[in-house]
Amino acid sequence: MSRTIATAAVRGAHACVARAESQLALAIAKHGRDRAVGFEGTAYCLPVILALTGRRVEKLGELEAALREAKGWLPEVPSEKLWLPYLGSALDAGVATLVAHETVEALKPLLGVPLAAGPWLGPTPDSILREQGIKLVDGRMPGFAACVGALPDDETAEQLARDLQERNILVFMGASSNGTSMAEQLQRRGVEMSWETFLVPYGPDTSSLVHALGFACRAALTFGGLKPGGLLESREILLYNQRRVFAFVLALGPVDDEKYATAAGAINFGFPVIADTDIPEILPSGICTYEHVVSNVPHASLAARAVEIRGVKIRTLEIPIPVRHGPAFEGERVRKEDVAVEFGGKHTRAYEYLRSRPMDAVEDGKIQVVGPELADVPEGARLPLAIFVEVAGRKLQPEFESILERHIHSFLSEPMGVMHLGQRDTVWLRISKKARDAGFRISHLGTMLLHKLKNDFPAIVDKVQITLFTRGEEVEALYPEAQAAYAHRDERMGALTDESVDTYYSCALCQSYAPNHICIITPERLGLCGAYNWLDGKAAYEINPHGGNLPVKKGAVVDPVAGQWQGINDFVESASNGAFTRFSAYSMVQDPMTSCGCFECIACVLPGTGGIMIVDREYPGQTPVGMPFSQLAEVTGGGQQTPGFIGIGTLYVLSRKFISGDGGLARLVWTTTRIKERLGERLRERCAESGHVDLYEKIADERVCTELEPLIEHLAAVEHPALALGEMI
Amino acid sequence: MLNLQAKKWPGKLREVSLGKAGLRVGGGTGLPLHTHEAAFPHRPLLALEVTDIDPPRFAPTLRAAWEGALGKPALAAERAVKEHGADLVMLHLVGVHPDRGDRSAEQAIADVGAVLAAAGAPLIVKGPGVSEKQNDVLMRVAERFAGEGLVLHSACQESYKTLAAAAVAYGHVLVAESPIDLNIAKQLNILLGDASVDLDRVLCDPLTGGLGYGLEYTYSVMERIRLAALGGDPMLSCPVICLCGEDVWKAKEVWVPEEKAPDWGETAARGIHWEVATALALLAAGADLLVLRHPEALRRVRRQLDTWFPRG
Repeated sequence: MSRTIATAAVRGAHACVARAESQLALAIAKHGRDRAVGFEGTAYCLPVILALTGRRVEKLGELEAALREAKGWLPEVPSEKLWLPYLGSALDAGVATLVAHETVEALKPLLGVPLAAGPWLGPTPDSILREQGIKLVDGRMPGFAACVGALPDDETAEQLARDLQERNILVFMGASSNGTSMAEQLQRRGVEMSWETFLVPYGPDTSSLVHALGFACRAALTFGGLKPGGLLESREILLYNQRRVFAFVLALGPVDDEKYATAAGAINFGFPVIADTDIPEILPSGICTYEHVVSNVPHASLAARAVEIRGVKIRTLEIPIPVRHGPAFEGERVRKEDVAVEFGGKHTRAYEYLRSRPMDAVEDGKIQVVGPELADVPEGARLPLAIFVEVAGRKLQPEFESILERHIHSFLSEPMGVMHLGQRDTVWLRISKKARDAGFRISHLGTMLLHKLKNDFPAIVDKVQITLFTRGEEVEALYPEAQAAYAHRDERMGALTDESVDTYYSCALCQSYAPNHICIITPERLGLCGAYNWLDGKAAYEINPHGGNLPVKKGAVVDPVAGQWQGINDFVESASNGAFTRFSAYSMVQDPMTSCGCFECIACVLPGTGGIMIVDREYPGQTPVGMPFSQLAEVTGGGQQTPGFIGIGTLYVLSRKFISGDGGLARLVWTTTRIKERLGERLRERCAESGHVDLYEKIADERVCTELEPLIEHLAAVEHPALALGEMI
Repeated sequence: MLNLQAKKWPGKLREVSLGKAGLRVGGGTGLPLHTHEAAFPHRPLLALEVTDIDPPRFAPTLRAAWEGALGKPALAAERAVKEHGADLVMLHLVGVHPDRGDRSAEQAIADVGAVLAAAGAPLIVKGPGVSEKQNDVLMRVAERFAGEGLVLHSACQESYKTLAAAAVAYGHVLVAESPIDLNIAKQLNILLGDASVDLDRVLCDPLTGGLGYGLEYTYSVMERIRLAALGGDPMLSCPVICLCGEDVWKAKEVWVPEEKAPDWGETAARGIHWEVATALALLAAGADLLVLRHPEALRRVRRQLDTWFPRG
């Protein structure tokens, strides 16, 4: 913690407590200790004191005791020679300051100073808290800003107020700097200030800001079901605010000791301080989610920066594009004669490339079209296109790039009149004449992506910047980087082995249909539906820690050949409700994984061949095992362990861990042409790698036969290696 | 005689207390209806549904059963409890829906007050299902009737924070609704717990499909929920509420008049049969609280319940 800040805060706290003491002595002399004290319209007495100390202060005598307790928390002002960390003492000083502030505010009416006067509204009654506080709790209001002091001029003050209002952020105002306050500045600009406009001026003094924290405390007590009490309870209340009330302090203008002390109080709630002046910064996270004090922020970006530092997530309800949009339009085609402009396909280079960047390298919301726009080109023009998406997020990991990038397809399929096919550098995109006539432009592709990425991935995406290149020169210039990124990702995925990680991911998304089924997804064995690989599981958990994908530690190896680990077995036992105690990742014979019903393919043992067959969901015909897919599905699905039968994602066939415990790819004797086509060259390569000569050519399909007897004859004729491996069961 | 070994489970259902007087529901320690091996401290509860306005979508035979009380929720509620023997009432705020009357929160509060007074039984208040309006109205109802122990229907995955806060702040019971999906049911309860809701104040609504219209899906999910609860999963051990009547009375089979389908028998009887059949299946799947629409259906289900759970 900055020594300067700590020293100033502690000094300020001493001053605040001393002033509160003298005011209190004055009030007691005037009214006696039994005189009632409190704010109007609240059942929470003095709410900050109640929340932080558990004391229900109703009389001056009780206030005296509370203030005495707070005084006891005051640390000594750090001496010149003390170089130890100061965070703890500064935080204590902050809490003491808040008690002193609330004391001063509560005494005002007793000493003849009205709490509400001029633009100032004074403390908030419970009725408004119930109405407005719920919005903070249920997310309709993303957070509140406590604005301390004033802006350099009235116009800037109004701009800041509008920036915050635009984001639905509740604005509390108090204190002054350079002889004025933000509320007075807004008043001069004729801005309406009230609870209806989300602009709430509390009072002219620094102590007035305590009402903002009183509001936060009461929200926790009312809607968080928390009860005031001792230290433990106050900790819960502070944590509730840290986790749920997305508030921050805007320090506007010079920061004096008392303001530092008040800010230290707010930091106890996890509310960071963003300053427009050059005060020392406190950047490491700790009490606050991210930084504690950030300074020198230009006025124009105060609101945006504060939102980012506090981690406030703002959802766009209406995406501002001129055509209707939604998943309903996803499958829509734009026919040749309806095309206003076309990218990619066979005609031009078109690709999409999403990369993660550091937080400060992305300007959130910036959308640029570099090259011709829709209005600049003749109807039906064919342009090159690079959709370059730069994303930043506190919790964004570079390996999530591919997952986010893959969503570009569905996002750009949603606007009516936009057709998007393919991914990476196989993009084919058309915008229809109708969409163009409705006002849709190339830039709106960026608008769509910006909002969808932020709305759908709030946990990992904080900032998005999009550049749409439509001129050959720039499209070509960026292309090598995109290609390198694709290659790098593939390489990384390829290098990602089961041995290289200590955690797998579970998938319970199908338990509604197959109650005891649980998928274990490893880097080398994707989910049986083919839709979830290990990275998807990881990202899904990051995005929603309460969802269907959980991390599972492998733990000690139980059986390296079959692929069993203690941690996985323990998890499977609890997740399958005790139905199964062991799962093999690499065997379809010994403790095979269960299957729900969503498998892309079924692999099953073919007695008499030493091998297995794999049939895909689309294949309608008979198979050598004597059952078509539909009948096999009944045997395989439903969350049972049926040795010899497993449901798999098609790509698992290409894995080096494909039933490696049972002999691997050399066991494959029959499959469908559709699977062969889908896996294509990669299957050939894997066959070659297996060390068996001409394995690929030896694998039969429905063109060779669909019955067992002729299959056995075929296998013998081609000398399929499975025959030599022996029966599996 | 066959001697069955009693199955003991590590977990049991939570017990939830409804209304001011504390009508209790749940608490079972075994599979539904397995009274030979498990304890069921409370019989499943039966509620009747009343509506704030004359319901535009009630079948004629159902309307007949509520003759004179349609759109008069207090009168209907009084009949439900005193004449038809419902354990509690569900007031469905149909008319609050923006497209079906757009009634205000004040009108809803008046209805809730009148129904509470007339029924003298715990009350489930069901919103119109449009989340923004529903949240706004139920929030105000919750605030006005703080401490009454209302059952608020419902919080869902997309929108649970407002009603969670309302339940916490004003001491009500919250229904957590999931779309026939075990994972979402569980996830929603985790989220509610995270939002400070006491899970002993939560009922689980797995979404009820009527006979022939998805009942088997509901049945499977309820089975699964019960097995998980008994297996010791605290996030799935809330008592289950089923809005049985709602889906039943949408079915073609209860609407088609007998002259159009002579083989199907008398229309009025058919609707009641349909609701009873659905209700009994739901009880077998583990429903702890059924909301029915037809008084005669309730009487028949009650008669069956009396044989399964003898009174006394």
